Amino acid sequence: MTPRLAAYEAIAGSSAVTQLRRLGEKLAGFRVVHVNSTREGGGVAEILEWMVPNMRDVGIDASWEVIRGTSRFFEITKNIHNALQGRPVDVPKKDWRIYQDVNEENAERLRPLLEEADAVIIHDPQPAYLLKLCPGRRGKWVWRAHIDISRPFRPVWKVLRTFVAGYDASIFSMAEFAMPLPHPQFLVPPSIDPLSEKNRELELSEQDGVRAEFGIDRERPLLVQISRFDRFKDPIGVIRAYQLVRKVAPVQLVLAGGGASDDPEGKEVLDDVMEAAEGDSDIHVLLLPSNAHRTINALQRLADIVVQKSTREGFGLTVTEGLWKGKPVIGGDVGGIRLQVTDHHTGFLVNTFEGAAHRIRYLLQHRKQAMQMGSTAREFVRENFLLTRHLRDYLTLLHTIRSGSGDPVVYL
Amino acid sequence: MKPFEVKDCALLMRMSGLPPAMNLRELRDRIATCDENAMYHHFCETTLRPTFDDPDYRNDFAVWSKLYLGDRVLAERLGILDPYSFPGMEELRAVVLEIIDDRLGELTMIPWVRPGDEFLFKQSTTVVFDTGERIQDPKDLHDAIRRMTNGSVYYHFLEALRRPPVGKDDFSTWLMDGGAEFEPYLRILGSIDIQFHSLAHLRGDLARALRPAEEGG
Repeated sequence: MTPRLAAYEAIAGSSAVTQLRRLGEKLAGFRVVHVNSTREGGGVAEILEWMVPNMRDVGIDASWEVIRGTSRFFEITKNIHNALQGRPVDVPKKDWRIYQDVNEENAERLRPLLEEADAVIIHDPQPAYLLKLCPGRRGKWVWRAHIDISRPFRPVWKVLRTFVAGYDASIFSMAEFAMPLPHPQFLVPPSIDPLSEKNRELELSEQDGVRAEFGIDRERPLLVQISRFDRFKDPIGVIRAYQLVRKVAPVQLVLAGGGASDDPEGKEVLDDVMEAAEGDSDIHVLLLPSNAHRTINALQRLADIVVQKSTREGFGLTVTEGLWKGKPVIGGDVGGIRLQVTDHHTGFLVNTFEGAAHRIRYLLQHRKQAMQMGSTAREFVRENFLLTRHLRDYLTLLHTIRSGSGDPVVYL
Repeated sequence: MKPFEVKDCALLMRMSGLPPAMNLRELRDRIATCDENAMYHHFCETTLRPTFDDPDYRNDFAVWSKLYLGDRVLAERLGILDPYSFPGMEELRAVVLEIIDDRLGELTMIPWVRPGDEFLFKQSTTVVFDTGERIQDPKDLHDAIRRMTNGSVYYHFLEALRRPPVGKDDFSTWLMDGGAEFEPYLRILGSIDIQFHSLAHLRGDLARALRPAEEGG
């Protein structure tokens, strides 16, 4: 047993890891190629970083290829990405031509590997056109959409649909994110890595260090929202909720996120947040570097209540992270947050800053219940939202597409 | 007595291909035409799905009626249905449709949900595999169950109910071969009300129920 998968036994349970090994044994030597557009940075690369070695660990001949493209290509695919998430961004024909040309250049390099693979998993829209460029493919091709494409900007979706309709299957994170396609659409929710810097256990001394670094008072309750400075994350709403609570309880607030400096929209939101927080030394607005995973981890652990008051959200993995740290979460009643937060059970769903303030006050008054919610939440994450479950879903998918029967039960 | 072969299973969800239901009338029409596997998924496979919730009801139609349609009367009527008490999904479907039709007859307007709260029909593929583990002696069963995955518990205790012999879980079927000595255990297994258990809780209850008398069972 190699250390990597074995390391999860203590957290996910040995039966969960044994289950993965058994599913993997029956796929021994199965050649799987993942293709995406970046080796580092972003959620997809984070997933593939653990997924590929762990697939190998259970016996699959897994590999990971990254397409290469010009900066113009990535500007275009960013537009495609935004359009798929509903922004009315037009992608003219000449841009689609560049998109196809870059895919063709990559196909020249990757074709032998992709055509020989038993399964090819193409992540997101950037490399989606590769399917059309590999006519000699012998395996099953699956398109994995990591984003919510349920309400896309139609002109862009209409073009992309012609590229992805030919796949043997697609994968979405949630049923709510899917679009009708002429092939099976599987559902694989995301997960967190409990051994990553962002989620691993931290010594109390390290948490104390972060507390001291940002001048957080140990004696008073702390509310924490971790998110980009983006209007959909509603940081101003969180400040308003804090201000309402502050009238009756001496709480502190941390709003921490990164990546705003090179994002004009993010900069504008950050400026608004700074203005709203001005003059209150108990509001800590932290612009963190993208690799500040341990700091984020510590802040979530220091929190009494984790807040994710988004008005629009994908799955919302920061909620899963907060729940994993045993914190009740007050979340916006949108997207994947609704799957994770159940009133009185793992936290509270809210629609307004007034609602958030009300629930914060409730949890501050019911500390025992808040702790119980936190421990319930942590067990839900352990059972369902760690990467072991995520890997199991992929192994199950590989068995399903390999059987090709379409039967509801596949016996190995 | 033949050794008990421990199987395991893993579930992969997929979209059913049906359009979402925005109101009770649409829910009724989709249920009338949906694949049996979609019925099975929404009634029986809910415990095996990744979730953060431990809802009041084990079937998705009852949960949706309560949380999104806001119709607690319908939720209660659907929530009490035990899918395993029906010979098959067609019989269950007929009863569900009757309950919804009755409710539609009682209401003066059709309840509907806001965008984003639609009922999305799903189904799943279950991959079943042999773990290679064998239990030789019934006295070891409780310990083996304690170590089982949720998939094994689901397969042997819930999914088994629809395999021949229909209505019997695999543990009971095996213990019946052991003779009268195991009858008390069969009675306890038969008394576990699966409607109110997550698989993790069920595993604990099963292990406790099958603990030999000398160990306090």
